[in-house]
Amino acid sequence: MSLLWLRVAVFLYGIAALAVLPAALYDRPRWRHIAIPATTAALLFHFVSLAEMLNAAHHSLLVDTHETQALLGLILAAAFLLVYWRYKTVSLGVFILPICFLLGLVPAFRPGQETTPFPQFHTGWIFLHIALLLAAYAALFLSLVASLLYLIQERRLKQKAPTLTWLPPLETTDQIALKTLLFGLPCMTAGLLIGSLIAQQTIGPSYFLDPKVLLSFAMWLAYIGMIYIRRHSGLRGRRAVYLSSFVFLVVLAVWAANQFSVVHRFTTP
Amino acid sequence: MNLVLLGINHNTAPIEVRERLAIPAARLADATRTLLHQPGIREGLILSTCNRVEIVTLQDEPSATENNKADLLRFFHEYFAVPPHTLQPHLYEFREREAVRHLFRVASSLDSMVVGEPQILGQVKESYTIAREVGAVSSQLDTLLQRAFTVAKKVRSETQIGSSSVSIASVAVDLARNIFGSLQGKTVLLVGAGKMSELAARHLIQQGAANILVANRTQSRAEKIAAQFSGPTVNTEAIPFDDLYAQAPRADIIITSTGAPQKIFGRSHGQHFLQRRRNRPMFFIDIAVPRDVDPGMNEVEGCFVYDIDDLQQVAAANLADRSREAAAAETIVSNEVERYQQRLQSRDAVPAILALQQNAEAIREAELTRAAKRLAALTPEQREAVDALTRSLTAKLLHPQLVALRRSTEGSESNTKKQE
Repeated sequence: MSLLWLRVAVFLYGIAALAVLPAALYDRPRWRHIAIPATTAALLFHFVSLAEMLNAAHHSLLVDTHETQALLGLILAAAFLLVYWRYKTVSLGVFILPICFLLGLVPAFRPGQETTPFPQFHTGWIFLHIALLLAAYAALFLSLVASLLYLIQERRLKQKAPTLTWLPPLETTDQIALKTLLFGLPCMTAGLLIGSLIAQQTIGPSYFLDPKVLLSFAMWLAYIGMIYIRRHSGLRGRRAVYLSSFVFLVVLAVWAANQFSVVHRFTTP
Repeated sequence: MNLVLLGINHNTAPIEVRERLAIPAARLADATRTLLHQPGIREGLILSTCNRVEIVTLQDEPSATENNKADLLRFFHEYFAVPPHTLQPHLYEFREREAVRHLFRVASSLDSMVVGEPQILGQVKESYTIAREVGAVSSQLDTLLQRAFTVAKKVRSETQIGSSSVSIASVAVDLARNIFGSLQGKTVLLVGAGKMSELAARHLIQQGAANILVANRTQSRAEKIAAQFSGPTVNTEAIPFDDLYAQAPRADIIITSTGAPQKIFGRSHGQHFLQRRRNRPMFFIDIAVPRDVDPGMNEVEGCFVYDIDDLQQVAAANLADRSREAAAAETIVSNEVERYQQRLQSRDAVPAILALQQNAEAIREAELTRAAKRLAALTPEQREAVDALTRSLTAKLLHPQLVALRRSTEGSESNTKKQE
């Protein structure tokens, strides 16, 4: 059943991703009334699917990349709805909703078959570790998208070109960019802490020499540095985008480091 | 129904004529009552704005078109003391379908001087409310006006006709909103004095700007201007011109309109202000000619500089956008006129259909009464069956006639259209 719900969710993400285009780009409120309920319904189905999937597998751990991908999609969709609820803008949906759709597509139609041979990882803490880090990644991605929107709107205002009505005002995008980063920081910190404590208990000190783990701590430092610079110098516009892009690249490197990591390759070959 | 619309507007009459016919809101009820007392007028409404005076009437005699017009002209003459020969060259007249179309266009702001301006719908609604209060609008005109409001709403929601600003002051406000979002609590600095800059400041206050700083080379003039903006939700402050550069970083929006021959704000000022504001954006609206703000300041990240030409270009582009949207709005209006006319036609056929059905029912009941003795032996179930049978027979016999009646109404309507 969990696959069926996930497929329904993906279908609804697809509808929302299409409806958000006229809603944002042509400011058609009728389409917004399709995009937002479709995303909300997709989120619910996605959540039910995830809960059923974990329940059926009798574990609290996202084992393969596909499951992790699906959870990231769910968090991004929730973040989009939160931003919509707070700032009444659907512009971010133009980028976020297609990604939610794509992230759900593969797990819905080609689910992974991997299982973990480590029963000690079947705990809620591992799930929390993964979910918190994914929330931090989602926050960073949202912040990057908001910074890009800021840059586009700023350029158009500077060039005296007709402004794009679908883009939120500069101050709003700046707020979204900063607040999502501020939300992401405790998620990342808590996620890394939980991961470190579990690893300390199960693997020991060798855990801290793993390339993925080292990169993760570098990412955390970069994240903190970025927030410090943004908050204390009021960094906006082009330089803010560069900074967010740099940290995002570090995040991608951390994600890719699974290939070289010993402690994060839990699955059986 | 004989719907007649007579009026003048900014396209047909100069202001000298329009102002003679303009009716203040306080006198609109009285004027509407007087209109209703004219011979042959069943329902009526007067729309009076600075750009138009129109009378919409529903009259009793469909054939006497010239008499209808004469009655309305007499009303104009008597009520406004304007001789008919002064008025007649500027008057336009619409009847039936064209009157409906005109009313829909007016309510949708397609006939306005600035196409898409939002005030006209409120003005039509105000006239409607007054006309209802004095009993001048009841059944048919009420339906027509309700439809006009719906069409206007549809035009607003389905096109972008009213979404962009076309005046310099409102363009400035729109740009400010693109930068700051809400203008609640924002600080505006007026440097120099001028009607346009004061108008822009008033627009910004309407949108929520809460602090107005005024700098002028003459301090007393600055204080006088500041006092003009003072209000319960607005803090004003006249700042000495010598303090201008120290105070400027407080402002989110700076409107300059001095007559200074050289630039007041240079690029380095922009960098300095931004540093003091920790990169919070600043919007410079430079209305002065020669310009007060160095255009190079626009290159400073966080500074947005618009001079009078930039604002005019945006306004012109928005006006062109509105014209494009107006074409889409005209299609909506045409479709709605069509739909309204069809509804009206089918409503005209209703009395004949009802009469036919009532007659058939009376015959059926009479025949059943006549046969009552012969049917006395029937059980209640059998009597019910006979009743249902006769009803079904009557309905089936009537069906072709009812269909023909409806078609003939639609046919006569389409013939009228072809002749038009």
